[in-house]
Amino acid sequence: MTLTTTLTDPAAPADATPVLSVRDLWISFPSEAGPVEAVRGVGFDLQPGRTLGIVGESGSGKSATAMGIMGLLPPSATVSGEVLLGGRDLVGLGDKELSGVRGNGIGMVFQDPLSALTPIYSVGRLLRDALRVHQDLTKQAAWEQAVELLDLVGIPDPRERAKSFPHEFSGGMRQRVVIAMAIANKPSVLVADEPTTALDVTVQAQILDVLRLAQRETGAGLVLITHDLGVVAGYADDVAVMYAGRFVERAGVDQLFRRPTMPYTARLLAAVPTVDSGVHRPLVAIGGEPPTPADLPAGCPFASRCAVALDACRAEEPALREVTGHGHVACLRADEVADGTLDPAGPEGAADEHPGPVRTGAGEVVLRVEDLVKTFPITKGALLKRRVGTLHAVNGVGFELRAGETLGLVGESGSGKTTTLLEVLRLRRPEGGRIEIAGTEVGTARSAADVRELRQNVQIVMQDPLGALDPRLPVFQLLAEPLQAIGRDRDAIRTRVHELLTLVGLDASVGDRFPATLSGGQRQRVGIARALATEPKLLALDEPLSALDVSVQAGVINLLARLKRELGLAYLVVAHDLAVVRYISDRIAVMYLGHIVETGDTEAIFADPKHPYTRALLSAIPVPDPQRERTRERTVLRGELPSAARLPAGCVFVDRCPLYRLAGEDVRLRCRTERPAPSVVAGQPGHAYACHAA
Amino acid sequence: MLRHVTRKAAGWLLMIAVATNATYFLASWFLDPRSNYQGLRPVRSEAQIDVALAPYNLDPRVPLVDRWWDWLTSVVLRFDWGKSPTGVSVNGEIGYRSLVSAELVVLATVLSVVVGVALGVHTASRQYGWADRVSQAVSIVVFNIPTSVAALAVVFVAIWLNQHAGLHFLYVAGENSPDVHGLLPTIGDRLLHLILPTLTLTLMGYVGYHLTQRSLLLDTINADFVRTAQATGLTRAQAIRRHALRTALIPTATSVAFSVPAIFTGAIITETIFGWNGMGRYFVQTISKNDVHGTVATAAFAAALTAIGAILADIATVFLDPRVRVS
Repeated sequence: MTLTTTLTDPAAPADATPVLSVRDLWISFPSEAGPVEAVRGVGFDLQPGRTLGIVGESGSGKSATAMGIMGLLPPSATVSGEVLLGGRDLVGLGDKELSGVRGNGIGMVFQDPLSALTPIYSVGRLLRDALRVHQDLTKQAAWEQAVELLDLVGIPDPRERAKSFPHEFSGGMRQRVVIAMAIANKPSVLVADEPTTALDVTVQAQILDVLRLAQRETGAGLVLITHDLGVVAGYADDVAVMYAGRFVERAGVDQLFRRPTMPYTARLLAAVPTVDSGVHRPLVAIGGEPPTPADLPAGCPFASRCAVALDACRAEEPALREVTGHGHVACLRADEVADGTLDPAGPEGAADEHPGPVRTGAGEVVLRVEDLVKTFPITKGALLKRRVGTLHAVNGVGFELRAGETLGLVGESGSGKTTTLLEVLRLRRPEGGRIEIAGTEVGTARSAADVRELRQNVQIVMQDPLGALDPRLPVFQLLAEPLQAIGRDRDAIRTRVHELLTLVGLDASVGDRFPATLSGGQRQRVGIARALATEPKLLALDEPLSALDVSVQAGVINLLARLKRELGLAYLVVAHDLAVVRYISDRIAVMYLGHIVETGDTEAIFADPKHPYTRALLSAIPVPDPQRERTRERTVLRGELPSAARLPAGCVFVDRCPLYRLAGEDVRLRCRTERPAPSVVAGQPGHAYACHAA
Repeated sequence: MLRHVTRKAAGWLLMIAVATNATYFLASWFLDPRSNYQGLRPVRSEAQIDVALAPYNLDPRVPLVDRWWDWLTSVVLRFDWGKSPTGVSVNGEIGYRSLVSAELVVLATVLSVVVGVALGVHTASRQYGWADRVSQAVSIVVFNIPTSVAALAVVFVAIWLNQHAGLHFLYVAGENSPDVHGLLPTIGDRLLHLILPTLTLTLMGYVGYHLTQRSLLLDTINADFVRTAQATGLTRAQAIRRHALRTALIPTATSVAFSVPAIFTGAIITETIFGWNGMGRYFVQTISKNDVHGTVATAAFAAALTAIGAILADIATVFLDPRVRVS
């Protein structure tokens, strides 16, 4: 079940009156250190049917802007400026008046669909209530409309599903419901705050299509807030880049991506890992961290991280001004950048180190996994748990990982990639198959000392560094703990901790600080340093970058590459962001429902994906280039990952496979009845895929 | 739903039977009904006391199992819970006293819950505002006042009011005046007697609901789904009421349901100070007077209330959280 679409530019009305005009919007929140200016003078016009993308990192004020437009800021916030919806100023209106606008004039789509729906009401009831707030409908009529809306956003069997509760829906389906609620009363403006960030990349493509459909259906103008430049490139008509509470660049999507003029935008684009076809371009990290809104520097807030900053930049904050043939830019040197005489990356901005996956030669095998099986029982009943089924989380997975090599496990959530990682880390005999770490088979170790030695060889870096580090221990203690566990003496620990901090590029003074006072990038560096403390051979990285901002991400990617080169580590990486995986992995294993469906060298897989699932996965990733993003052929997978409780007898991908539908009857029969074995691609050793039809 | 309730009720019935019988044995072992006769003049012999106890099925010479069997058959067949060592019918006492207690407790519980939850909701939506700070300070002070002190303070204030404002409707003792006749005057008289004890019990009871409801609501008030509800066009107050409060009420409903038996038999101090003959005082009296049958009947009464409370809690949960119905 696939849909091959080519994106086209939506018809852009030339000079319609804007549905939403924001003029000089300021938002500040009280804090212990005085008022914090989260948004400082934001302004834009939104035409009906058009999409404005607002891009920024966390803390840039993009969500505060959205909440300010919606009138959903906490009462303690101070708002000034104008938000004109159809000519009516919303700033300063009371909650009662604003509630007449919310959902009626402006609809909103939120980031996390798992928590955005009231758990105790059925989705039909939620939609019915949303309709009845603004329209004088009987319960029956509103219910009928709710069912129609669910049908519109692509919920199968809407009449029955309307009676279901949010927890019975998957994340993607819940986001469809949230969109249905946002468009229920046909608002003229839609605000979508990171609508796809919490979703899988294949589901993201579906949701963006639904959003596009919703926009077409209502003719609404859309404010799309995101950190993903790829989403903006494919979706927005105009783009505004936010930094430290202001728009620093605002332009049409083509102009912006063709020649980003504010150095921040340019550097941001250079720091985004992409899955572009063609050669690898090196990632250039911006360096430094975005300023906190509580403590803004005097001049341009980006000056301290900018490679081409002048002295004047640090004196006064430049205003947003028009640059001919481009858009609006807040930079003193915008003209130079715009006409191409100045490279915003600066004279020394060229790649200072090559971060691409440099293979340090095939070393010894650090990890060997053969035919790994992990199942979970599905139980029923409150007191007497009886087993009613089996969830096949990992089913016959096997791979090899050598020193100095990175293997990326990719797939949608529920594909079994994290379970595989955890099975390796568990250091117990697996349910089925075998795991061998540095030549020792896991589960055969007899004494506790053997297990401890094995543990020393395998360490993990977690997804959320704030959650993974004990908030009550200073960094020094955090790093010393694993060393104490292996019985190092005090002096050795002190030297090693300093070594570790230097190794991950942190200042020695960080040792006295608590995790809460560090920035996200620093925290993840501490997490990596802690994992490296015992000099492991294998590092398991569970979504190591997904909690970090784009501009910080590149620095950590480069750090990981350097550490691997210098220490000869082996990485086992689980990540949902394929672009990131491409940058750090030598080899990739694509997982689907607990099976590896394709494996091979990273470049081979990206250049020539064989398995239909790999193809769909790769094509779902948005590319931060509007031209290519809008013209390329996309294979959008229909539906979502089925439950691993009832695996099909044949190929596990058969329900969603685009090739299956086109295949001949004999092939179809094999797909349904016979599980495909991996076959090696001719001329590409190590590249194997499991498919009958490809 | 009905099937579920029936099944639950059957389980609870079994539990009550077990608990009541266990109490019978424990009470028979530890309470000595003969003590009621030992202080009497002229002094009676052991044999005389036993003979006096025999009609009430309390004769220590009869084996315990036989006495238990007699008691059980009379409870099951005639719903007769026996007599006290001095021959007072337990059924009559409990029948009268449970009504008195209900009069006292039901209104006070309803008021405590309404006041407590309302305050909790009001202050949670204005966290750290002055209303929140003041009411929380007051609640914490009240929370730390012992019931006896609070009840006496209420009595003193009432007497002072009666004297200085010339008010004479605040009764500080008894559940009714002896010389009132007719239906309407009786109801009015009883209501007037109810004012002060109800006030005391409400004062003692609301604090817990205020503080727990406030923190429960604070957990959900900033949830994403409340914001979504606001985004569909509800005001903040409406969104809190319809979306945040309903989930936050579930634990409160459960705790109210389970606290009913404790309030019924635990309002001893209030009953004593205001001179009400309720279940709380009866419970203490039966034990101090070595009244085996009275003690057992009180325990059975409390167990039945617990069962009713638990079933009510189940019904409230299902009502508040429709997800339960699905699974």
